[in-house]
Amino acid sequence: MRVGVEVGGTFTDLIRIQNGSIRVAKVPSTPAEPDRGVIHALDAAGIDLSALDDFVHGSTVATNAILERKGGRTAAIVTKGLRDIFLLQRHDRTSIYKLNYRKPEPIVERQHVFEIDERITSDGNVVKGIDEETTKAELSRFLAQEEFDAVAICLLNSYRNSDHERLVERLIAGIDADLSVTCSVDVAPEFREYERASTTALAAYVQPAIRGYLRRLERSLSSRGFSGRFSMMQSNGGRLPAAAMGKNAISALYSGPAAGVIGATTMAKSRGISDIITLDMGGTSTDVSLVVAGKPDLTPETKISGLPVRAPVIDIETVGSGGGSIVWVDDGGLMRVGPSSAGADPGPACYGRGGKLPTVTDAHLVRGTLRQEMFRAGALELDPQAAHESFKDIATRLGTTVREVADHSIRLAESSIVRAIERVSTQRGRDPRNFTLVPFGGAGALHAARVAEELGIQKIYVPMNSGVLSAVGLLVADYVHYCAKSERVILNQEALPKIANILDELRDSAKKYLHSQGVKGSPLFRATLDMRYVGQAFEVPVLLDGNRDDVSSAMIAEKFSEAHQKIFEFSKPPDEPIEIVTFRMGAQVESSDAFLNMVRPADGDRDSDGTPFYADIFENGRLVKCAFYTGRGLGSVAIAGPCVISDETSTIFVPEGWTAVTDGLGNVLLDNISGERE
Amino acid sequence: MTRSHIGQAIITQALLAAAHEMGVKLIRSAHSPIVREAQDCSAAIINSSGQVVAQAELTAIQLGSISQTLAPCLQRFPPGTLREGDFYISNDPYNMGQHVQDIFIFSPVFYEGELLGFTASVVHHIDLGGGAPGLNPHASDVHQEGIIFPPSRYNFARDWSGGPLEQLVAANVRMPEATIGDIYAQFAANSIGGKRLVALADRYGAAFIRAAMDEMLNYSERRVRAAISRLPDGTYTAESAIEDDGIGNVPVVIRGKVQVEGEILNISFEGTDPQVSTNINCPLASTVAAAVACAKSVLTGEDIPFNDGAARVINVDAPEGSVLNPRRPAPVRARLLASHRVFNTVMKALGQATPENVIAEGFDTTTPICFSRIETKGYNIYLEILGGGYGAAHGSDGCDGVDCPLSNCSNIPIESIEMDYPFLRVEEYALLPGSGGRGKHRGGLGFSRSYRILKDGVTFSTYSDRFVLPAQGIFGGEPGAEASITVLRDGEAIALRSKCGFSLMRDDLVIVRTGGGGGYGSPSERNPRLTLNDRRQGLAA
Repeated sequence: MRVGVEVGGTFTDLIRIQNGSIRVAKVPSTPAEPDRGVIHALDAAGIDLSALDDFVHGSTVATNAILERKGGRTAAIVTKGLRDIFLLQRHDRTSIYKLNYRKPEPIVERQHVFEIDERITSDGNVVKGIDEETTKAELSRFLAQEEFDAVAICLLNSYRNSDHERLVERLIAGIDADLSVTCSVDVAPEFREYERASTTALAAYVQPAIRGYLRRLERSLSSRGFSGRFSMMQSNGGRLPAAAMGKNAISALYSGPAAGVIGATTMAKSRGISDIITLDMGGTSTDVSLVVAGKPDLTPETKISGLPVRAPVIDIETVGSGGGSIVWVDDGGLMRVGPSSAGADPGPACYGRGGKLPTVTDAHLVRGTLRQEMFRAGALELDPQAAHESFKDIATRLGTTVREVADHSIRLAESSIVRAIERVSTQRGRDPRNFTLVPFGGAGALHAARVAEELGIQKIYVPMNSGVLSAVGLLVADYVHYCAKSERVILNQEALPKIANILDELRDSAKKYLHSQGVKGSPLFRATLDMRYVGQAFEVPVLLDGNRDDVSSAMIAEKFSEAHQKIFEFSKPPDEPIEIVTFRMGAQVESSDAFLNMVRPADGDRDSDGTPFYADIFENGRLVKCAFYTGRGLGSVAIAGPCVISDETSTIFVPEGWTAVTDGLGNVLLDNISGERE
Repeated sequence: MTRSHIGQAIITQALLAAAHEMGVKLIRSAHSPIVREAQDCSAAIINSSGQVVAQAELTAIQLGSISQTLAPCLQRFPPGTLREGDFYISNDPYNMGQHVQDIFIFSPVFYEGELLGFTASVVHHIDLGGGAPGLNPHASDVHQEGIIFPPSRYNFARDWSGGPLEQLVAANVRMPEATIGDIYAQFAANSIGGKRLVALADRYGAAFIRAAMDEMLNYSERRVRAAISRLPDGTYTAESAIEDDGIGNVPVVIRGKVQVEGEILNISFEGTDPQVSTNINCPLASTVAAAVACAKSVLTGEDIPFNDGAARVINVDAPEGSVLNPRRPAPVRARLLASHRVFNTVMKALGQATPENVIAEGFDTTTPICFSRIETKGYNIYLEILGGGYGAAHGSDGCDGVDCPLSNCSNIPIESIEMDYPFLRVEEYALLPGSGGRGKHRGGLGFSRSYRILKDGVTFSTYSDRFVLPAQGIFGGEPGAEASITVLRDGEAIALRSKCGFSLMRDDLVIVRTGGGGGYGSPSERNPRLTLNDRRQGLAA
């Protein structure tokens, strides 16, 4: 038996596969003690832990530790002269007209930063060695001033020569062997000192929190008889044994959204669809990402609370448009949606929990694309009158009707999702028309068709269990580990042996790492070279088949030039010098291939008799008669829009000009049969 | 409300996104560190009559006057004569350009043979020739500051792209690869913006896009009008000074008058000191941009798309022959010093009308640090922009160690500097505790940055301010600390002037200390918790 449990902000999702059947469960999260939510979910699903072979877990523990500033007391060790690296940051402002601008708050306080008199140059030479005795004495005094839980070490140019960081690590171990120490060369061995230091400090900071969490969870699991494999999800879309995660918690930062993308990718693959754009719409925001040939785009850097994290993560764009986003009018008379949200409490006006402000969900109720009859009795009580009331002020102010305002606000929300998709597609030289849109999350499929039309996308795939897709992603995630090395190499034929050496070295260390964590099997590799024209400062990632060595410099140069052209609309003549700045290697070991064959409709998805009821909706400026189907047991005949199909976890809107067909497993495929709209 | 109302909101979003994409890609594909790391560049989308409708909010001084730089181009080469592939170029301070280093390129966007608008990009180029690499502190006229492109029209395929214009520029600059590379990045950014505009026209129709652009201007105008109307009518005057012109010791004084008349703001600099013989003169375009940027910052929230609609209700003028509207051929390289004093003057004047929305003076002195050296492959020029402490606000302390209001440059990572400039090692980059002026809220802290010179033959140049006259506090707040630049040579400390050039020797240590911001309100009103926190973190004096 295999189980995936994903702890989100509001719900904890569980998915179980046993003897070829799937069971899902959803229980409220317990933010104060998230590990208890996990046990609740396991209990709710009646899981016999002694029969559990493979347990995969995704949690927001690391993320919350940072957002809520509940990590360990962290000290940082830096090169002499750089004590203020965390306060100075990059010296720019993210908002140029804001007079009371404040920088993101660092997680290490200034008095907890210790300078070491040492210096390494950009080519790795030591110009100032470390005096071990003095340094050790000073370090002991420094570490004694406070009860630190963790130490981050980030010295200048250590990505070229790690000796000094290792030495300091040893010195600290000699002072207090129990202190958790994180070296920058272990988490982000790349140039640009602030980003590296920030990553190292954050990694150190979340370490104690995630360790404690894992310890508690492991104890609860084993006391219930669990003795199987225990893995954790990472933000790069792969899993790692939980023990490894205890040492590298920063890689779990955005594991939830990553799991969703992996779940969507796998479900789509099972239908032979491998180029997809994911659309995960929740209550407060919407995440989108792009997947080419079954591989999600990765980005080398992300931010949390404004602080940079240099670690490969699935490239997800987030916009503040969700079901709970509030509709308002600014003082220039322009209608706006979000970014503020009614959240779960008080929630949309139609929930009747005291919310008075109109939200996207209220707009659906006013338009008629959501209605009480769609929900099983007692599942969710909606108040259409309250939804209607909530829009009255805006309608009066703009001199129009409530339903016009509601309809427009949905189109506005959709337009900001369109912009987000453009950022991961058009803006990176990818044509969205060649992709299939895969919506999930409660509201994704309600908006997918209109979003697709704006982008010229013709096909939409709504996976079954789309409400617990993140949990699906956990179960199918492979073991993944990334290694990186910053070294500047000018690309030419003579440099090839060096390039091959570095790639070999990275392959070897990625593989060794996985093996050391108990992951058996021979990995598949994925190499990425961060490249640029000599003189540029930002790199373009160039993907290579990491399993092969027979590369030529001309081939690499061509790939780079192609990638550069795609993104920037220009490339230079072939004789212009190109350099590689950072080498990355991802090693991937498959966890299991059994999942896809075992997929069966989820329990409770067969309860529809396929007969719709009809009602008017006001959508896209027109009043139309719309069919409403419940459950996905539609039969194999394509039905034409306008219609709404809803099941336990999601609602699909099929506009006029689109058809919907199910595959008998609960997956729904939408086709645009009208070509482009108007 | 009609269908066009919703279309409007969507196109507004799309045009802002396109301008932003232009800006981001400009930075990411550029070559010289001043653009790629320091982000000294901007981008905009302009309607067919030459008004900016959307811009990438990167560098305030380059925004707010883009359309005025375009106007002489349109006048000399009417848009009706433009063909596909043509572009305008200008960097002429005396034809509504900024300083010579900022090259503006405007590309027309056609849709079905008709002009739909323009895309524009501005980049501060690392070197455009002139009397010294990167930055000529001794220029006595604008010709010594670099090659000037008057407002002119060229064709990309014919004149650039390996053509005569590209070759002319390459032959007249010291780092042709970087400069030519950056101009290509500008063309690419413009072409991306053009593509996005055309795609929108495909989807919504050109007529609708044109109308939507006009409505964006009206929308911003409405919102700025609403903001101005909330101010009490009246005339508010103020002044600020640059401590010297780089030669003498007499402050150069900017005098400003801000008049609030209903929904209109008139800003005049009558009575400002005459132009000077050194490079701190400020071309009119920079004066306008600085005044408008200050008014925008004080009056409106962050979410108002800033465009020429706002400029319709903010009038700025400065007397010809003054330091804020100099006559040819006065040098203008260091115009940001005067621009920032324009910003300070308008801020102080508006502070009388709306005390809670202004901040104290900050260091507000964009300080370029330029090191250059001739190496075997030719010139290697390092240019970095340093800020200092921000002025304190009504509700919070000033931001520590950050670039100044009119520019927005990142620092260059030390590890990147040391890779590219083998003659430099950065030995310290640290905040200066206690450098913020005391107050109910304290000014932001200045910082120090120290460069060890590893080879002979390195030349240093800069222009800065507030070495003698520090940032003033407001409403009882105290002044911030002064700035300084010192060269340590063989145990001897050589203090440099704020505006200077200097020949360095191997092993010299150049220590730059930037100034702190002024405080807001009386120090006696300071929340003890804030004081305690500063003391605990070692940020107090």
